[in-house]
Amino acid sequence: MKAALRVCQRAAALLLVAAATAAVSAATATTSIAAAQTSAAVALPKVALPVTREVTLPNGTRLILAEKHDVPLISFQGYLRGGSVTDPPGKEGVASLTAEMLRKGAGRRSAREIAAATDGVGASLVTGAGTEASFISGDFMARDTALMLDLLRSILREPAFPDSELVKLRQQTIEALRAQKDDPLSMLSQYAAVFFYEDHPYGRPVSGDEETVGRLTRADVLAAYRANYGGDRLILSMVGDFDARSMEAKLKSAFGEWSRAASPLPSLPPPIRRAGRRILLVDKPDATQTYFWLGNLGVAQTDPDRVPIDVVNTAFGGRFTSMLNTALRIQSGLSYSARSRMSRLTLPGTVAIVSYSKLESTQKAIDLALVTLGTLHASGLDEQTLRSATRYIAGQYPIGFETGGQLAGQLLQLAFYGLPRTEVTEYPARIANVRSPRELLPLIQRVYPSEKDLTIVVIGNAKTVRPVLQRYGTVVETSIQEPLLSAVRRVRSAAR
Amino acid sequence: MTQRRRTAVLPAAGAALLPAVALGVLLSLPAAAPAQPREASKKGAKTTSAVPREIQTKTLKNGLEIIVWPDHDISNVALYNWFRVGSRNERPGITGLSHFFEHMMFNGSEHHPPGSFDRVMEENGGSNNAFTSNDVTVYQDWFPRSALELIFQLESDRMCCLSFDSTVVESERGVVYSERRTSVDDDNAALLDEQVMATAYVAHPYQFPVIGWPSDIEHWTMADLKSYFRTYYAPNNATLILSGDVTPGEVFALAERYLGSIPAQPPPPPVATVEPPQMGERRLVVRKAGQVPLLEVSYHVGTPRDPDAEALDLLRTVLTTGESSRLYRRLVDQERAVVSVGSSVMEGFDPGLITFQATLNAGRDPADVERMLYQELERLAKSGVTEEELTKAKNIHLASYWQTLETINGKAAALGQYHVIRGDWRKLFDGPARYAAVRARDVQNVAKRIFDERNRTVGILLPLEERTTGGDAGAKAGGAR
Repeated sequence: MKAALRVCQRAAALLLVAAATAAVSAATATTSIAAAQTSAAVALPKVALPVTREVTLPNGTRLILAEKHDVPLISFQGYLRGGSVTDPPGKEGVASLTAEMLRKGAGRRSAREIAAATDGVGASLVTGAGTEASFISGDFMARDTALMLDLLRSILREPAFPDSELVKLRQQTIEALRAQKDDPLSMLSQYAAVFFYEDHPYGRPVSGDEETVGRLTRADVLAAYRANYGGDRLILSMVGDFDARSMEAKLKSAFGEWSRAASPLPSLPPPIRRAGRRILLVDKPDATQTYFWLGNLGVAQTDPDRVPIDVVNTAFGGRFTSMLNTALRIQSGLSYSARSRMSRLTLPGTVAIVSYSKLESTQKAIDLALVTLGTLHASGLDEQTLRSATRYIAGQYPIGFETGGQLAGQLLQLAFYGLPRTEVTEYPARIANVRSPRELLPLIQRVYPSEKDLTIVVIGNAKTVRPVLQRYGTVVETSIQEPLLSAVRRVRSAAR
Repeated sequence: MTQRRRTAVLPAAGAALLPAVALGVLLSLPAAAPAQPREASKKGAKTTSAVPREIQTKTLKNGLEIIVWPDHDISNVALYNWFRVGSRNERPGITGLSHFFEHMMFNGSEHHPPGSFDRVMEENGGSNNAFTSNDVTVYQDWFPRSALELIFQLESDRMCCLSFDSTVVESERGVVYSERRTSVDDDNAALLDEQVMATAYVAHPYQFPVIGWPSDIEHWTMADLKSYFRTYYAPNNATLILSGDVTPGEVFALAERYLGSIPAQPPPPPVATVEPPQMGERRLVVRKAGQVPLLEVSYHVGTPRDPDAEALDLLRTVLTTGESSRLYRRLVDQERAVVSVGSSVMEGFDPGLITFQATLNAGRDPADVERMLYQELERLAKSGVTEEELTKAKNIHLASYWQTLETINGKAAALGQYHVIRGDWRKLFDGPARYAAVRARDVQNVAKRIFDERNRTVGILLPLEERTTGGDAGAKAGGAR
């Protein structure tokens, strides 16, 4: 929970998007790998990735190590391929619960002992799941390397999953899921994903919902661990104050003997782009604003046009002066924020406009968002906007390459998506090469839905907002009180 | 940006990363100062907390203070411009004006019509933000080195010659109102906190919400804005910090050229009101639609310049940082009474509060949780902390000290926080030693002094029985399975 943040901030932070979370996050990343440059006046920013020592162990574990000695810290980030796409139907949330349970007892240490050991040396150790991977990350002071490597090995390879801890964590998760319903903006993308993807695994809420989590047992967690944890699933990236050669030896001895995961990774069909309008209204009677998501299927992380797409999305809804924020905030004062969000995964994810406005101006705000989308479709970007967007991306790009944690995250992302280092080091030059507004137009029409083909998801006061939404098409409705998955599935089948 | 929240929170996976995250990181940096250098690795240079010689300062004739920390790792610069004005300087009728003013600083000046500031900055590779607290208003720019002079032009134009267009004022009112709805009215924890602050302070202006009371947002006038600008946006009321790919010489020259001619103003009127000692517990209840009850308990403390500020910080760490913390263990793990519990200490010019906030499990009686909280606070006051806990808390601070110094943004933020709030940026580097010097009994003494029931304000938010407007919404929030 937020600790009394008695501060008002001018803008929702557009900058500092956690690039490292892209693979594990179902719905974030306004501009996931963002950057650029142009014109003779500005030099291309230099983006240096540290020299790495990369090895693949015989069991398939990949290690990426880089030394960085300016502060006595070590950061690591690891993915285990899997994530919520491996959740069996009806057991949504099990990958997430399993990842959280890793810290709740392993080897000779209890949950308390793991927490005490980590906190005791001022370290952090985070585990969790995303859509396509479970993750483990942390940082610690270099002097505590032996302890932290032992913890890392132990929680991944010998978790105990004690039943007493499972019972507690399950209840905590259910309570947290309930409490989250008091924060409509954070619920919006979850409703949108379940409604949009229908039964495609990308639509699963990573944490499940109070109903599915309530059904999870220790046997489910053990099964999920056996199926999806093993040396072949792990990519571990580590950056900081260490000697790479000796760190490699230590990690080899920690993970070299780890057996492979029992199940193959699921092979997913590509999600489907939806034709026509589909509208979901989630009733939250006390909401003072209407929160809306207007989207459809977008692109994959490795889309061949990913560089120009970054430029377009930045200009359309990824910075303060973006087309959307200009229309809905700067010129009209209808909203505090309006953005275009892309969720880019191994396969195409969603692209969506996200904003909010007070109840009475709901229609005005949605109309304006649609008009802005129409403008993008019809006219694309003008030359000046294009140049500005490329220079903005370039100017901000180096900011993601400062800390050990950031560098570890960048290296991990490249490995996860199978992209070369030049993806990062040449990125500014590639952005600078995006020069022709005319060439962007077909791309825009491929990536962004037309206003006729939109899934619309709204959280707000149904009584007020229902008649407004009916102007855009047939509305199906649920209540924020109900468990997310069964509620959305029910209205979806009723709508058919 | 790497997330470094360390409050005792159950990670709610899938929760969107909202602005508060980035901001929280940023603001928690300075509070999270260092601990002892004693055992921190053998590589000498890293563990000394000497003041880095490359940091240089200058004060212009008009009173503007400038601090520069060169760091050439990346070709970027972080700029923080601190003004000593916040909701603490407000009065009934104009609450929220400091924050509204923060918005207006982006909305037009002599050479830049509304919209131009952001447009020019972004097309030159820069981005910006700003925040307002009870005590200060801070403007932030992050930009490539190539934009350095341009940034000075932009900052100069709005500091010297802000314009006030009435259409823009009205439109921005709508933006701020939307911000209030999202961040307070639709956010139960923030709404409860607003009420607790308004109750804990009866005299001092810390009682005003930074975002402003709704009726004041609707009513402040052009005259209010103009007088505010004159009084508080003077160079002698500001501190400018730059960290990154710059040299002190070029920064001082640019500052002289672009900001040196802005005239100084008479010092702003001091905030003379002193909050009288609280004489007994204050309680309040908010009834609002929601899924779960919330509890917030605040105690008056001193300022971050007090000699026991570090002891207080370590106390807070022992109580709520991490899953090994006392309140996490008791309330989340052992009693399974709350979803999360966290704490914060205000860091301002005047005596602040330490605040505990808990999100309760649905259907849990806040009175139970309150009783458990007090038991833990009393236990600490009575028996103190163990050496192990103290070492842990110091290590956590040492780690976040180094993390702060990993980025140019962290450096600029921390210098500003130390200089403006604690009075001297050099204190940032004394931090490790000051934290190392804290003894277990110092922590206990702070606890004894503060955790007195006469000194506390208790706020409880109870969910209203919600009537849905659509169909059979079913599902009362029942107990856990």
